[in-house]
This record gives sequence, C-alpha cells and structure tokens, in this order.
Amino acid sequence: MKIVESAQLKQFREQCRDWLADNVPKDRPDDGEAMRDFDLAWQARQFEGGWAGINWPTEYGGRGASVLEQLIWHEEYALAGGPPSGCMFVALSHAGPTLIVSGNEEQKSRYLPTILNGTENWCQGFSEPGAGSDLASLKCKGEIDGDDLVINGTKIWTTYAQHARWQELLVRTDPGETRHRGLTWIIGDMQAPGLEVRPIRTMAGLEHFAQCFYDDVRIPLKNVVGEVNQGWKTAMTTLGFERGTGTVAHQIELATRVDRVIEAVKSAPGGADEAQLEMLAVLKSEVMALRSMTAASISRGMHETVPGAEGNIVALYFGELTRRVNAAAFDLLGPHSLERAGYNYPAHFLECFKWAIGGGTSEIRRNTIGERVLGLPKGPKAV
Amino acid sequence: MIVDLIPDEDQSAIEDTIVSFLSDMLPVERLRDAASHGGAAESAVWSQLCELGLFGLGLPEEQGGLGLGLPEEVLVARALGRNLVSPGVLAQLCAPHLTSDESVRDALIAGEARAAFAIDQAYVLDGEGADWIVVFGPGGASLRARGELTLAATHGGLDHTMHFERIEGGAGNTQPALRLEVLIAAYLTGIAQAATDMAVEYAKTREQFGQPIGAFQAIKHSCADMATRASAADTQTLYAATVFGAGEDDAVEAAAARTLAKRAAFENAKANIQTHGGMGFTAECDAHLFLKRAMVMDMLGSDSRARRAALTATA
Repeated sequence: MKIVESAQLKQFREQCRDWLADNVPKDRPDDGEAMRDFDLAWQARQFEGGWAGINWPTEYGGRGASVLEQLIWHEEYALAGGPPSGCMFVALSHAGPTLIVSGNEEQKSRYLPTILNGTENWCQGFSEPGAGSDLASLKCKGEIDGDDLVINGTKIWTTYAQHARWQELLVRTDPGETRHRGLTWIIGDMQAPGLEVRPIRTMAGLEHFAQCFYDDVRIPLKNVVGEVNQGWKTAMTTLGFERGTGTVAHQIELATRVDRVIEAVKSAPGGADEAQLEMLAVLKSEVMALRSMTAASISRGMHETVPGAEGNIVALYFGELTRRVNAAAFDLLGPHSLERAGYNYPAHFLECFKWAIGGGTSEIRRNTIGERVLGLPKGPKAV
Repeated sequence: MIVDLIPDEDQSAIEDTIVSFLSDMLPVERLRDAASHGGAAESAVWSQLCELGLFGLGLPEEQGGLGLGLPEEVLVARALGRNLVSPGVLAQLCAPHLTSDESVRDALIAGEARAAFAIDQAYVLDGEGADWIVVFGPGGASLRARGELTLAATHGGLDHTMHFERIEGGAGNTQPALRLEVLIAAYLTGIAQAATDMAVEYAKTREQFGQPIGAFQAIKHSCADMATRASAADTQTLYAATVFGAGEDDAVEAAAARTLAKRAAFENAKANIQTHGGMGFTAECDAHLFLKRAMVMDMLGSDSRARRAALTATA
C-alpha cells in the first residue's frame, strides 16, 4: 500500500489533460443516427490524436498504455467531461480485444483498424429471449452449408444494434451439445440479407437497444473467430483485458452527482435536517468507497494477469449504489428534483436501472460472489 | 492521487506475523472463559506481544519507532478487530502518537507502560493495569495518566467480555485525533470480516432440507452482501490510511472509513447471528460477541454528527 507518483506519470497526465481540453466534444445527442455519427466522429478524432485503443497493444495500432496510464487517461477523460464511448463501446472494449486475443491475422488486419479510426462499430449478440442470466442455454442456430454458416433465431438486448456495422455473434452450431459446449463465435454482418433489427424503447424513453431476427442469414465461415464449437472459449478470452480501469469514468461521474445533490439539498430553503445529512453522508462515504474499490481493482490489475471473481463485488456495489444516488434527489429535493438548474434528475434516475440488470443482474452477481469468491455450494438441488 | 492498495512484501509480513500470533495466542474462543475477559488474556501474553514490536510501527525512527506509517498500523488494527482483542492493545498502538514526552513514549513503545481507551470522557475500557488512558472527547483525544483520573466501578456494560470503569468529574481537553479514527475503522472492519467468515463457514456446513444452507440464495445473497459491505469498508479504510497526511482531506477520508466500517460491522454482526438461527441467539455461540464489541468500539472517537458534518461540508 503506497502512493504511486513519478515525473513520467505526471507528464502523461498533463499531456492527457491538454489534449482533452482542446478536443472533447460537447452536446452528445442522446439517441438516433445523430448519436451514432457523433460517437464515430469522436473516435476518429481520438485516433488522429493518437489516443485510440488506449489499452490495446501498439502492434495492433493501440496506445499500449500501462495500467496506470489507462487510469490517468480515464480520470482526466471524466474530469474533462468526455462523452461515453456509446456506439463504439462494444468494438473497443469487447470485440476488438476478442479479435486481438483469438482472431487470425486476416481478421485482425481487416477489422481492427476500422474500429480504431472510427469508421466501423460493433454490437454484441449474446443474450436471447430465453437466455438472459442463463446465457449458456442460448438456442440461436448456426448450420454449416458450404462455405457459410446459416443463422436462424433471435438475439435481444443488443445495445445500439440498429447503429452497428458488425456483431459479435454467439450461436449454437452443435445441436447435440448443451450449455457451454457446441457454441461458435462468429463475426456477424449487420447488413446481411435476412437480418431484421427492431429497436426496443427503454423505460427511460430511448431506443438504445434492439432485438435481432435471423432468417437464413448467411455468414462466411472465415468469419468464425477461434474454432467452430469452441465459441464459449473465444467469448471468455477477453477477461484478461479487463484491468478495472473501464469503470473509472462512471465512478467519477457518480461522485460528482452526489456532490451536486449535497449542494442542492443544503442550499434548498430551510437547509438540511440531520436525517437528510445522514443520508447524504452515507452516500458520500459510499461513492468514496467505490473510488477506493476501483483503485483496489486497478492495483490487482497491476499485480495479476487475469482478474478474479472479486470484480463482481465492485460491479454489484456500483449497480446498487447508482440507484440509491439517483433516487436520493427525489427523496431529498421533492418536487424540486423534477427540474433544477437545468439538471435532468428524472432522466438519470430512469436510466440508472440498467446498471443492476445489464451485464449480469445484481442477483446473478450475488450468486457469483457467494460461489466463486466465498466458496459456497452451488444449488439448491431439488428436494 | 494514484494509490497501490495491495500490501507490499514487508506490509504482508507484518500482517502475517500479527495474524498468526493472534490465531495461536488470542483466538476468539478464549472469550468463552470469563478468566480471559477484561484484557486478562492479553495481559497473560503481554511480553510476547511486546516482542512483535507493534507499538512503535508508525512513529519515526528518531522517536524510537520503526519509521513506517498508518497503512502498517491499519493492518494490525484490522487483525486485532478480527480476533476481538482487548481495545487496550489498540490503545497501546495509538498512545505513543499522543505524547511528546520522550520517556513516556519510550515506555509505551516498549510495552513497559500500559495504555487503555476511555469512551467520551466517561468510561475506561479494560483499564486494569493501565498506566495511561487515551481519553476521547469532543474534538479528538488526549493521553492522561490513570492516576490523575478519579475512577469508580460500574455494574458492567454492553459487552460482558470487557471491563468498564466510570470517570468521575471530567477528563480535560482533547486534541484532533484523525489517525485514531482510521485505526478504529480498521478494527471495526476486522469485526465485519470475521463475522462474514463465520457466517460463510456455518453456511457451508450446516445442513437443512438435505443440503448446506449456503446453497440457498436467501443465505448465499446475505453472505455476498456481507462480503460486499466488508470490502467497501476495508478498501476505504486502506485508502484513507495510504493517503493519510499526503494532501487529501484526511478528515473526510477518515469519516467515510468510520461511517462504512460502523455499518459493515453492525450489519454483518447481525447477519451472522441471523445466519446461525437459534444457535445465533445463544450465549454459547460466538456470534453475539462481534455485535457487542462493534457497538462498544463505535462509541470511541467521533460521533455520527461530527462525521455527517465532515462528509457533507461543501466548498
């Protein structure tokens, strides 16, 4: 346990800060093609500035930043008010890293450059209507026919599917196998005939995800990443890429939100009573703990090659805390929370429900913590 | 500020030393025997405890210490909490920081003079045999000679494994003691971790409906929440200790650590009792000891009103 400081890191921080101050774009549209164009243009600008793929190895065109440099970049990014990676998120954080680890040379040279320079983006195709928390039960079918894989079935909760060029698609290619066996990870073409994308409106009022329907969609077999029927292995290879730095921006944003609520409650007519201050003090403590837990994850990332299941503790804490923080404004400010100083509390409150559902619900995370961190038995068995 | 929160080799060695000493010499089970209450078990192994060299850990070498810092002391305090060690041992760790008198400091570091805590200028904890009392009061703490205080017997307290004496007629001024706040948070975090471990262990072995109760999500999720609360309190305490005195707002960092450590210790101690069912409600089961100790330890140092003020202060 120690403070980490060096002249080199300090210089790197200044470099990040200067470039971000000059380049961070403002007023990101919150939906539609305008949002997609904004996200891709911002990616292109980062590419020109030499910042694209901050955690990608330099041999694939990335910045190749160390864990600490990544942390500094994400901190400065959040402090500069940088926009979410949005429509580029899956490409940068999942599809790209998967190709880097498991793709062949042809796939890498075809797909990685267009991610970094912001010309092509990706979506994920894992979840299905019948395979949510229980992802390994997925049924979307892939049948080999000549040089193609023919896809039939459906995928759901596909974030920004209607805006994506490519898809990381996980399908069942061996109908005789169950669970994690017999799956294949393939690069899906979002412009292929037979694919229909129907946007889904969320409770927050935005069309940020969609359901995809595949009717004899033909994908060339050369798009398979890893081996046919070994797709689960391919999907898991990106785990080693995660060093805990990806959540830094969310953590800083949430901390800023708590400070904003404290300010608003204390400046409201009549000020704050002790019960309100207690609620705020606990939230403030919790966002500070989230910062410390993020720092601890990153510390582990500096010392270990593959992260353990402890990451679920931070993810559970973030998912639950973000709901408490965003609900607090309504408890503490009452009707003033509907609109205050141009800040849209309702939008943030409604949107934040996704954090305890997407990418693993709080309930699944508690199972994982119980079984893989604490060593409790799986179950229960039928009685 | 960038921090590495993983203990380095030397820090791990210090932690391993104290953890293994406590597991051999002062296991929680000792408290089932009344003869070990009130700090008696600690007194019985006092010379070996002093040989570990814990009491000058965070003091500069020119003051007779080891020249380490609050992170090392926090690892020790957390281990003390896990084993419900008499708070006098934690007081001994704190006391050398509260005096400028060289001979007093040397005696405390060597363990030749003994220290104990007092709550809110009113109750001395496990103070028999102590020469110096770390008295908490509004605004911080001060070190007072036991002989200067007027003490009276009490008819007990919340935690029957501890000895309480009442201070009559006040105990003078105090000075800010943020370092002690972080150490109390570490002790409470240790309680939160130990309660989690005890609940998890029981959930793995206790069977109902033909399987370990930990297979049921009602229990599993409760254990996951315990681990999460303990993790939040622990990492915040380690963070506060690591950046202490380095330019961050120590008062806010310490207040956050205390707030979370209190909640984690209380909630986890209660969840541990609940996990043990009927056994958890008995005197025979150790589960209640963690709750009682957490409640007493949280009476030391700052109160929640002071922490609220620090945490909600706006620029």
